[in-house]
Amino acid sequence: MFDLSFIYDLIAQVLPWEWAQARFMQQALVGLLILSPMCAAMGVQVVNLRMAFFSDAISHSAFTGIAVGLLLSLDSRIAMLGIGLLVGVSITALGRHTSLSSDTVIGVFFSGAIAFGLAVVSRDPSVANDFQRVLYGDILTIGDAEILWMLVLCIILLAFQIIGFNKMLYIGLNPSLAMAHRVSVSKYQYCFAGLLSIVVVFLVWAVGVLLVTAMLIIPAASARHLARSARSMFWIAQVIAMIASVSGLCISAQAWANTATGATIILCLCAFFILSLCIAKIKH
Amino acid sequence: METPSLTTQATNLAVAQPNSSNSFSIPFVEPSVRFDQVTLLIDGVKILDSVEAQVPQGSCTAIIGPNGAGKTTLLLCLLGQLAYSGKIHLSGQNPVLRYVPQKLEFDRGMPITVADLLALELQQKAIWLGVSRRIRQKTLDALAMVKAESIFSHKLGTLSGGELQRVLLALALLHKPDILILDEPAANIDIKGELLLCEILEKLRKELNFTQIMVSHDLPLVMSHATHVICLNHKVMGEGCPKKALQSGVLLATFGIHAELQNFFGFQQDARLPCNMQCAQNGHPHYPQSNFSERR
Repeated sequence: MFDLSFIYDLIAQVLPWEWAQARFMQQALVGLLILSPMCAAMGVQVVNLRMAFFSDAISHSAFTGIAVGLLLSLDSRIAMLGIGLLVGVSITALGRHTSLSSDTVIGVFFSGAIAFGLAVVSRDPSVANDFQRVLYGDILTIGDAEILWMLVLCIILLAFQIIGFNKMLYIGLNPSLAMAHRVSVSKYQYCFAGLLSIVVVFLVWAVGVLLVTAMLIIPAASARHLARSARSMFWIAQVIAMIASVSGLCISAQAWANTATGATIILCLCAFFILSLCIAKIKH
Repeated sequence: METPSLTTQATNLAVAQPNSSNSFSIPFVEPSVRFDQVTLLIDGVKILDSVEAQVPQGSCTAIIGPNGAGKTTLLLCLLGQLAYSGKIHLSGQNPVLRYVPQKLEFDRGMPITVADLLALELQQKAIWLGVSRRIRQKTLDALAMVKAESIFSHKLGTLSGGELQRVLLALALLHKPDILILDEPAANIDIKGELLLCEILEKLRKELNFTQIMVSHDLPLVMSHATHVICLNHKVMGEGCPKKALQSGVLLATFGIHAELQNFFGFQQDARLPCNMQCAQNGHPHYPQSNFSERR
């Protein structure tokens, strides 16, 4: 196992404030510094491809994940990951092969996932605690193992964003034009759905089922107000996600605030969104 | 009227090459595209019914017909986006086909510039890492070809119909197509934009030597720019140079209207491409042969 303590020591030295001295805060900060660029990058495509509802459905499949983990006595995180991937790929496949609109297909999976989770928890009320945990998430409880997994995911995602960004942008602009210009649309759609599912499950651990979609789309949506080109949208989203995560963590740790970290981060993101809206209005 | 044999047709095509200095030295030039019994059913409805037609090399071929006649469907078959029965023969080894859609449906608020769109086509590496100087130059050159270099850094959503159409044309030209396919190129643009677009296309076709296939139901546009016409209404109703193919008999069969376009538009035969009537009345049993002789 890698030793990450040198990073934590560095954080403790660079950030002299009291809140940055606790090990769990340092871990949360590192986790957020890895998660937020991933959110921003994937969020740009979620916004361009109008997949906010899709990511919502994946996040709610976490309930099914816990239920399946309980039934098969698997680790609930592994089960969440597996179910998330399965739901993501199934929605994509069904969306491609039926005449139903994508929101209808997603709606079916969305409610199916929640219903399955509720059915299992109604048999065994002891799981209710797990439900509570995924509903709100907790970035402050992540450990070194999770951080390492996030790093691995981050590297895979970086590769995808370098290789696939142009193609995804093309598909977001107009899928049939992309297809006519030799982009294998289905291959990229499946890849993106799979990766997005994994990112969403990681985000569920950090900010909880209810706030995942906000974490994905708000940086990109704010960047859309401010950016003129695809490149600037990407980078503005990165900056917004990064600043909002760190400031959210910082504020939540202050004695006067003492709020849930995930919720505070989303509030910071919302502030950025309102700011971007005002700037866009002033510019026009 | 005598039925021309296959060889006569081929020789005619050779003569039709604008670049051939001595037409007799080229005995056979393959048509750029040959549709061979192309049939397509959607939900049991025959959209394309044994379509047999050809597109001469280097021509500007217009596919005309009423709404719902299967024109765009035929293009999609050619592009390989729909499964059909029959065959489509393309000349040359792996010819490059490029497509300019009728109307680009996209989110107009999306932050993407003209330069971004063209870079997507040329650069493998993600454009958030920057666009190399070489590719920037290439995109500028492509835009200059379609007289659109001034809108290089404009947002795609702010362009007019004509500008967008020219940007899409530049996009299609980036990879030096052998066959350029346009779906209703003039449908969403004003008359000035249409003239500019047609002028650009005509010039580029000669410079870059590609075969142009366009779907249109704008007959004046077809009369003034096409060198070859395929009249389609599920079946091929007629084929040949515009003057011959757009006789009232063929138009009646295609559109169900009477029209003497030749007289109406004072059509002059295009001297650059001697036309070869290789169509309808011979190859297609569906077409009533008498119409041609009667109306002449």
